[in-house]
Amino acid sequence: MKITEKKALRRESIIQTALQLFSLKGFHKTTIPDIAEKLQMSVGNLYNYFSSKDILAKEIIKYTSEVLGNEIRAVNMLDISSEEKIKKIVELYFRMAEEKPERIEYFLRVYLANREVFKDGCEGMMCVSGFITEIMIFFDDGVSSGELRNQDFFSAFGLFMGYLGGMVFLKGEEMLPKDIGQYTDDISRNIYAALKA
Amino acid sequence: MTSQTSYKPKLLWLQSITCNGNTHSFLNHPDLASILSHFDLVYHPVLETPFNIEEVARGELDCDILILEGSFRKEGFTRGRVEVSKIVETYAKKVEHIISAGTCATFGGIFKEYDPEHISGFCFDAEERTERYEIYASKLISLPGCPIHPRWLSYVLMMLVKGNPIPIDELHRPQELYGITVHTGCTRNEYFEWKIDSKGFGLKEGCLFYEQGCQGPYTRGSCNKILWNDTSSKTIVGTPCFGCTEPSFPKTALFSTKTNMGIPATMPLGVPRRAYLTATGIAKSFRIKRFEERIITYDN
Amino acid sequence: MIIRELIEKIEGEAELDFTFNEGKIEDVRISFAFYRGMEEILVGKDARDALVITPRVCGICNHAHLIAAVEAIENGYENAGLKVELSSKAKAIREFTLSCELMQNHMTWFYMTILPQFEKLIGEASGENHALKASYFSSTITKALSIFAGQWPHSSYAVPGGVTCDPTYVDVMQAENLVDESIRFYEEMVIGIPLDKYLEIDSNAFLYDLDGDLARVLHLMSMNEMSDMGQSHDRFIAFGESSLFKAGKSMKTRVYEVDSNYVKESIQKSTVAKAVTYKHKLYEVGPLARAMVSKEPMVKHLHKRYKDSILTRVFARVHEVALLLTRSKELLKNLRLDEPSCSLDKELMIDDFEGVGVVEAARGSLIHKTTVKEGLISKYEIIVPTQWNLSHGDDNENGIAIEAMVGASSTEEATFIFRTFDVCSVCTTQ
Repeated sequence: MKITEKKALRRESIIQTALQLFSLKGFHKTTIPDIAEKLQMSVGNLYNYFSSKDILAKEIIKYTSEVLGNEIRAVNMLDISSEEKIKKIVELYFRMAEEKPERIEYFLRVYLANREVFKDGCEGMMCVSGFITEIMIFFDDGVSSGELRNQDFFSAFGLFMGYLGGMVFLKGEEMLPKDIGQYTDDISRNIYAALKA
Repeated sequence: MTSQTSYKPKLLWLQSITCNGNTHSFLNHPDLASILSHFDLVYHPVLETPFNIEEVARGELDCDILILEGSFRKEGFTRGRVEVSKIVETYAKKVEHIISAGTCATFGGIFKEYDPEHISGFCFDAEERTERYEIYASKLISLPGCPIHPRWLSYVLMMLVKGNPIPIDELHRPQELYGITVHTGCTRNEYFEWKIDSKGFGLKEGCLFYEQGCQGPYTRGSCNKILWNDTSSKTIVGTPCFGCTEPSFPKTALFSTKTNMGIPATMPLGVPRRAYLTATGIAKSFRIKRFEERIITYDN
Repeated sequence: MIIRELIEKIEGEAELDFTFNEGKIEDVRISFAFYRGMEEILVGKDARDALVITPRVCGICNHAHLIAAVEAIENGYENAGLKVELSSKAKAIREFTLSCELMQNHMTWFYMTILPQFEKLIGEASGENHALKASYFSSTITKALSIFAGQWPHSSYAVPGGVTCDPTYVDVMQAENLVDESIRFYEEMVIGIPLDKYLEIDSNAFLYDLDGDLARVLHLMSMNEMSDMGQSHDRFIAFGESSLFKAGKSMKTRVYEVDSNYVKESIQKSTVAKAVTYKHKLYEVGPLARAMVSKEPMVKHLHKRYKDSILTRVFARVHEVALLLTRSKELLKNLRLDEPSCSLDKELMIDDFEGVGVVEAARGSLIHKTTVKEGLISKYEIIVPTQWNLSHGDDNENGIAIEAMVGASSTEEATFIFRTFDVCSVCTTQ
C-alpha cells in the first residue's frame, strides 16, 4: 500500500475514533490525548495529521458532509422520480442514524451547538458544501422536471432537513417508540406532499 | 499589397427579411472608408453603388463575397421584384465566401417567429442545419448578433482580403469573436464572483445574472472585449445580455432570471452544475464589505 | 399613362405607380408587398420583452421604438393605478439618447440619401464622398448615445421606472465632448458658421449666404426652380412631447391641441401599409410638422415664402439637428447624477394593463399601444410616422406625400420629392 493511501486511511480512522469519543464523552470533555490513546498513537503523531482540536473539529464536519453528500449524489444520479428520490434520501439518512449515529449526533450536537469553534474556517455553508450542493441539485432537478414546486431554496431546505434532523434528535433523546427506519414511509410521504408542484 | 494595384474582391450586400440593423451598425464603423477601399462594392442597401437592386435581382452580376442580412423563406419575399431565395441561390453559387451577418441570416432570429415552419437562417434553422448547409458550408462564415458589431464584420472582411484562414466553430462562427462569452470583461465581474445581486435596475453595483436575466455567462460573444460603439456595452450600463448571438434568440421573460429554488436554471457556459454550486456555496459564505457598498457617494 | 417604378434605398423598397396626364403626374399609388409580422410576434410575450423586440422593427430608428415601448408600459401601470414617477435624471437621459438618434437619422438621410440623389437629379456631382461625412457624424453621436444606453443600434436600457444606467461625471464629460465634436462637424460641414450665430439668423436672405452643405442645397434648389416643388396640404401634426417638442396640430399656421385617442388606423387596398388619420383627416408628421407646431422661427420664415415645399421640408429636417445639438448640451449640463436611475421596485408585478406610449421619432410621431393580460401581451399596435405621410387619402383628398408628388414632370422629380419625407420602409411594413 502506498504511503499516501496509508496516510489517508490513518486520517480517516482518527476522524472515526474522534467521532465515537465525542459521542460518548462529549466534545469539550474529549481531549487530543484521549483520541491518541484510543488509537494507540503518539500525541505528536496525531498533531501531524491535525494540528489542533479545532482544526480536527472542522475537518470532521467536512468529512461527514462529503460522505453524506456522496450518498445523496448516488441517489441524484438515479433515473427515478423526485418522489422516489425523497424516499431514498430519507432511507439513507435514517440508516446512517442507525448504523453510524455518531455522525449525525456530531452535526446536531457539536457543529450546530458550538458556533465559536467553527466560525473561523467554516464560515456559512463552506464546510458542509459537499452535502448542500447535492440537496441543491436534488431540488433543481425536481423543479426543472416539473415535479416539485418552485419556491425559495431555504423554505424547502428547512422543511426537508429540519424534519429529518428533528427525527434524529428525538431518536437521540430516546423518545421514538419505534425504530427510526420504520418512520421512513410516513416521513417521505409528508415531505413529498409539502414540496410537490 | 496595396489597395491600388491588387485585385479588389467584389462585395454584394443582399438583404432578405430584416430590420436593416446590421447595415446601420456597419455604417457606424469608425474606419468605414479604409475598409471599403479594399473592396469593389457591387451593391449595398444604403451606399451609392454602380448597380441598383433590379440589376442585382437579375442575377448576372459578378461577385466574390456575398454578405447576407435577414432571415429567409422559400417564397413570399422579394427584392427587386424577384424572390430572394432565387437571387441568393444564384449568387451563393458564384461567390467564394458567404457571410451571414446577423442572427436572422444565421439562425432565423426574431423574424423567424412570425412563421417558424417556413422562415430560417441561410444555412441554419436555429441550430439545425438546413438543406443549404451541405451545399454552401465550405464558403460560410456565421456572424450572429442582433445586430452585429461593425468590427466583427470588418474582421472577417480583412481576414479574407489578407487570405488568412479564419478559425471557426461548428456553427461557423469565428473563434476570435465567439470563443469567449459576453461575461468576459464585464465591469460587474467581481460581483459575479462573489454572488452579489444587483438590487434592481439602475445601479452600477451588482451582477445581473442572478435576478435580472443576464445571459452573459452562457452567451458566446465579445461585447465586453470589443466594446459597442468603441465605448460601452449592455451590461456595463446595467442592461442584461439577452443572448442575441445564440440560435435560441429570442428567449422569453428576458429581464428576469429563470431559477429553480433560487438556483439559476442555466449554468455559465461549460461549467458543471456541481462545480458552480460548490463555488457559489463557498462564495456566499463570506460577506465582503466592499461589495455591499456603493462605489461612489456624492455629497448633496 | 401609368409608369411603375421600384424605389429602393428607403430603408427597404416600395412600388410607386405614377399616373401621367399631359406630361405631369396626376396621381401616385404607393404599395408595400410584404410585412414581417412584428405585432403578431409580440402576442404571448412577457410585457417587458417588448423593450427588446420592438426596436427590431427598425435598424435606424430602434431607439425611438424602445422609448415608445417603455412609455406604453409606464402608461399602462398608471392606468392600472400605480403612480410611476421618473426622476428628472432618468427623463433627461432618455431625452438625450433619443435626441442622439434623431440627429443620427437626419444626418444619415441628408448625406447618404438626399445629397447624392439631389446631385443626380440636377446633374451636378460635387465629387465629394458624402457618405463618409454621414458615417463620421453617426459614429460620433452614437458613441454619446451608447455611454448611457450601452449600444446603438438596439439598446434596451429604458425600463419601467427609468433607465438601467448609473452614469458618473466621467461618463457625462465624455458625452459632452462627443456632442461638442458633433457640433464642430455640423458647423464645418453643414452650416459653415458657429452654431450660436446660426441660431440667431432670422431672415431667409442670411440663410442663402451661408457656406456649408445646407445652404448649397437650398441655393441649388432655387437655381433649378425647385423651391416651390413638393407642396402638399400644409397640414401638420405631432403627438410626442419633450423639453424640445410640443404636441399639437398646425393647419397652415394656426396651432391647436391634439388627443392621441382620435388617431385611427385603417387597411388600404393593394398594400400592407395601413393608413392613419386624426379625426378622419390626413396630416404630415416629421421635423417640418414639429417646427410648425412649435412655431420655430426660421422654419416659419421659409414656410411663409415656400409653404410646405421640398425646400422647407429639407431645411426643417437639417435645422432640427441644430436645435437638438443645443438641447443635448443643456440636458447633459443639468444632469443630476445623485438622483435615482430607476424608481420602480423590482419586485413589483402588474399583470393586467393597457397603455399607450407616444414619442417623436426622427420621421415623426410614433405610437405604441400595449394590452397585457396575466403578464403577457395579448395585443400590440404600432403606428409609425411613415404611415401618416404615405396614407393614400380618399376620393376627396390625396395623401400627404402623394399630393406633394402631384404636378411633378418626371418620375425622377417625384421620387426625389418622395425621399424628402425620409420614408422608412421597414417601419411601415412591421
